[in-house]
Amino acid sequence: MTNYLEVKNLSKSFDSFQLHNISFTLPKGYIMGLIGPNGSGKTTTIKLILNMLKRNGGEIKIMGLDNIADEQKAKSELGVVFDTNYFSDDWQVTQVEKSISVFYPNWKSERFAEMLRKFHIAPTKKVKELSKGMQMKLMLACAFSYDAKLLILDEPTSGLDPVSRDELLQILSEYIEDGEHSVLFSTHITGDLERAADYITYISYGELFFSGSKDEFVDMFRIVKGGTEELTPDLREKAVGVRTFPTGFEALVKTEDTGAFSSLSIEPATIDEIVVFTSKKGDDYE
Amino acid sequence: MSNTLKATKLDFSLVKPYIKVIGFTMLLPIAFAAINRSILTGVSFAMCFIAMTTGYTFSVTEKNSMERLYGILPIKKSEMVTGRYLFVLALGAMALVVSLITQPIVLRAMGESVGAFDMISAAIGGLFLFALYTVFQIPGYYKYGAIKGRVFMYIPVAGFLATLFFLPKMPADNPIVTTVVSSPVLLIGLVLVLVVVMYAVSIWFSIRIMENKEM
Amino acid sequence: MKLIISNVSGIPIYEQIKQQVKAAILSGELKEDEALPSLRTLAKDLKISVLTVTRAYTELEQEGFVKNVQGRGCFVMGRGSELMREQLICKVENGLTDAIKAARIADLPNEELHRLLDILLEANKDD
Repeated sequence: MTNYLEVKNLSKSFDSFQLHNISFTLPKGYIMGLIGPNGSGKTTTIKLILNMLKRNGGEIKIMGLDNIADEQKAKSELGVVFDTNYFSDDWQVTQVEKSISVFYPNWKSERFAEMLRKFHIAPTKKVKELSKGMQMKLMLACAFSYDAKLLILDEPTSGLDPVSRDELLQILSEYIEDGEHSVLFSTHITGDLERAADYITYISYGELFFSGSKDEFVDMFRIVKGGTEELTPDLREKAVGVRTFPTGFEALVKTEDTGAFSSLSIEPATIDEIVVFTSKKGDDYE
Repeated sequence: MSNTLKATKLDFSLVKPYIKVIGFTMLLPIAFAAINRSILTGVSFAMCFIAMTTGYTFSVTEKNSMERLYGILPIKKSEMVTGRYLFVLALGAMALVVSLITQPIVLRAMGESVGAFDMISAAIGGLFLFALYTVFQIPGYYKYGAIKGRVFMYIPVAGFLATLFFLPKMPADNPIVTTVVSSPVLLIGLVLVLVVVMYAVSIWFSIRIMENKEM
Repeated sequence: MKLIISNVSGIPIYEQIKQQVKAAILSGELKEDEALPSLRTLAKDLKISVLTVTRAYTELEQEGFVKNVQGRGCFVMGRGSELMREQLICKVENGLTDAIKAARIADLPNEELHRLLDILLEANKDD
């Protein structure tokens, strides 16, 4: 299986934050969600992949190319969507094409026009006149016009309405349908990934918590629920995280540890629940 | 098209919304030439003014956080920086050409005679002033951004004042100075070499700044 | 074939796909050698992970319901395949057991039960 993105032992130190030994692999043809609470290192990881930040250690390969030694070659295969657009807001949509297309030998003007029609973007509009969702689609339209093989999205859904978020997932599902494209998608709105992501990489406070298939990730944990008196010391010990409230408790427990609590209500956990419970590790929250 | 030229083209598209301001900046110095009845004054003003407008590229990229666009384009930072210098030089050349065409027409209409020597000395003087302004300004913009970097534009001004202050104190009979000043060809050659060296150093600094910069 | 994914059933999505494909095979809606929807197209249409569909299809293959032909897709195995036969026999046994249970409750003699089966067989002959 070809890997479109390989990150090995990636490290980066700032004065007040450190990213430690992050490793993950995204094979060709799949969607990976990069998740974690705000400030956990998602954007740092993406900027390191793009060589916009300088890494302190580790290795990054984009479609087999070193992200620094072969930076230009790698980037010509890469499409990027940030949470806000990176064009001049005075540009008309047609000017965006004129300004950007020269940098990509594979740019297909017909494809760009087709994408604009599909996304209902008027070519004569200025960037600043487009809604946030439209600006995101404009960035996608550009990436699709040079047939970027790997798409990296940094918090694309923050500030988008549910309709636009759903449209984005639809677009991404179509994008990977032929098995020749991959997506790395960072978000703290994990509901977006619950269904569409194939892989999950979960970074918590600069450390890698998990990287692997989403089903495996979700299957690692269960939510155990019960009345306050049912929260035994044994359960408290085994729980990854506990939330107590006057009428009972909810605990995130590793699936293999749930055997002892079969008398309680045991439910599958959502990605959101796993992130919430694991990032409050150690202490109860109310 | 080389990546450097693509970067230059991108810069032109950045300043497109300011095209009227830039056009006005190129034509305004006609008035200065007319008032002083001197093409040297007119061209000097034109080149100083146009040097200021090159900052638009930096303010537009900063306003729109376009360092992210530069971060994803398949182009080297050195190409991006060199492209910016080419843009600046192209803008300067346009201003020079516009001034050298329009100002003599106006001056001659006013009855002044504008000779080839006046034209050449105005061109060389203007070029030198333009280089002086931009070689400090651009690395300043790269290092400190479009607002704080503007301070660097005043370095040449401070330099002029210092020169004016120290010049009278220099021994006038310095043989090098007298030789150079007495031979226009030598003077022009010296200025051209100086301009090339200044830009080379400035580009080198800017590339270093950008390569060490984290976005 | 109809495939509906529920988010609230608590059953994993791959399991839901498996159940519905199996049901379609057993009901005859999916015939021998008929292709299942393409893995990636199904993932796109249902807006679910490709890996989830892959898992469902792989397990269906392991259980002998379908065979995966590299590069061409997933095809329903013939009805004569041992497993499908077993499953069908099992279905028959379950149905008959239900019938016997109901007959016991209704106090129906065994001869009557046999006769009913013969009548039904006769009636369904043309199918």
